[in-house]
Amino acid sequence: MKINDNCVGCGQCASFCKQGAIEVKGKAKASAACVECGICFFYCPVKAIEVSP
Amino acid sequence: MKAIIIGAGLGGLLSAARLSQAGYQVDVFERLPITGGRFTNLNYKGFQLSSGALHMLPHGPSGPLAQLLKEVKADVRIVRSDKATIRMPLKMSRPDYGKGFKDIYFNDFFTPLSHRDRMKIALLIVSTRKSRPTGSTVNAWVRTQFKDEWLVRFADSFCGWSLSLKSDSVPVEELFEIIENMYRFGGSGIPIGGCKGVIDALEAVIASNGGRIYTKTEVSKILLENGRAAGVVVGDKIYEANLVISNLGHAATACLCSEALSEKTYSSYLKMLENLQPSAGIKICLAADEPLVGHSGVLLTPYAKRVNGINEVTHVDPKLAPPGKHLTISHQYVAPENVKNLEAEIELGLNDLREIFPGKKYEVLLIQSYHDDWPVNRASSGMDPGNETPIPELYVVGDGAKGKGGIEVEGVALGVAATMKKILC
Ligand SMILES: Cc1cc2nc3c(=O)[nH]c(=O)nc-3n(C[C@H](O)[C@H](O)[C@H](O)COP(=O)(O)OP(=O)(O)OC[C@H]3O[C@@H](n4cnc5c(N)ncnc54)[C@H](O)[C@@H]3O)c2cc1C
Ligand code: SF4
Ligand code: SF4
Repeated sequence: MKINDNCVGCGQCASFCKQGAIEVKGKAKASAACVECGICFFYCPVKAIEVSP
Repeated sequence: MKAIIIGAGLGGLLSAARLSQAGYQVDVFERLPITGGRFTNLNYKGFQLSSGALHMLPHGPSGPLAQLLKEVKADVRIVRSDKATIRMPLKMSRPDYGKGFKDIYFNDFFTPLSHRDRMKIALLIVSTRKSRPTGSTVNAWVRTQFKDEWLVRFADSFCGWSLSLKSDSVPVEELFEIIENMYRFGGSGIPIGGCKGVIDALEAVIASNGGRIYTKTEVSKILLENGRAAGVVVGDKIYEANLVISNLGHAATACLCSEALSEKTYSSYLKMLENLQPSAGIKICLAADEPLVGHSGVLLTPYAKRVNGINEVTHVDPKLAPPGKHLTISHQYVAPENVKNLEAEIELGLNDLREIFPGKKYEVLLIQSYHDDWPVNRASSGMDPGNETPIPELYVVGDGAKGKGGIEVEGVALGVAATMKKILC
């Protein structure tokens, strides 16, 4: 999972990540706890999250 | 008659509720898996944070939003805030909170002024209701009337808190429209259940009127027939309708019908859209065992470097936090030139909170920022281009098309009410 420059830092993805793997401060950043489940992708309001198929 | 609504934000759902009540067959298409846009709850560590708003309705149980909710029979309880306060430095000669502070009531904002300026305020309160000032910004107008810096600070924190703008970019006409609305509708309130309390109630109304809401469904195009809006495209499917309402703001709506709008007759509309400036802001969500603010209305912080105001919604609805905890949320305006320095702006906000709550224990839950395509306001207050578009049967609702003097969701409601009046008259 990759977070691109569209990210505004709204934190919406962080609230839906079951692993608590997203930290937000102006922009979102995934930590090593990310299991690449892809759930956060659907919740980003500005299409900033890219998941590899 | 069939209506399609693009986007299940507050404006979209209000429109869907009203139109379905009036007998329209309504379909709402929402791109995300959740409804409510920037006005719903996000569950985070057991706290009901939000996707945008601070769970606060600027005019509480008697404002335009509350009235529209009542009209569509949405079952929401809104509790008026007990009081609003302003945090003042202990000594006005030291304009920060470092050496202590005291809180005054919002309605006593004039008390730090000299006797002469207080008299002047009293006179202005009467005279400006008869003839409203026009043609300048709030900041410029205050400076022509008073020499006192306090009123500028007060105006900045009020505009920052309620509009996410600085007083030098708010038209003075808009401020006086807001003041008039404060007389008319009263002060702020909090819906039980927070933002989602409102969204759930609207969804129940839409469902009971036979309307449908489709999530994970992105509209890619608005269709025109003989120059009028006639439907939308989702994936490879076409959905026809007599009426299309967009909840995306004017600019994003125009992108969905860019081919049609490329004709020369629309160039002045497109040019106007280029001047729309979304407003930016930062929200810091705190968890605390003991109340930090102590009441449910806003605590304005005009002497903080960045934070404009703070609320504590758990005084109205304790269920917005785990048992025994408080949810306290600060808001700060971000100037357009500082959007690229969000981390530094956040640090300034966190420093402010340490000064505002010295010696208090709290945990920073989540820091949320909003700008550009997911802003605090798509059109800065007072700059809204209205609900109509150059395309007949295509309307825009939401915070990119607020009604005059309508703060945030109150403006969304005023815009929806005006649009419904046009459509249903
Ligand atoms: C930090 C912050 C604090 C705020 N505080 C307050 C407050 O305390 N009080 C208050 O009154 N207001 C507040 N506001 C403002 C308030 O949240 C907004 O005015 C309001 O939520 C805007 O609603 P809207 O109708 O414009 O819809 P939006 O919330 O913008 O919803 C639009 C919806 O359309 C969807 N969408 C987008 N493109 C498509 C597409 N192509 N197809 C289908 N769906 C699509 C989006 O996913 C979204 O769900 C705050 C805002 C922010 C950001
Ligand atoms: S891909 Fe899954 S685990 Fe990784 S950040 Fe997104 S939601 Fe969390
Ligand atoms: S939801 Fe999207 S915009 Fe918001 S913080 Fe996550 S990646 Fe950034």
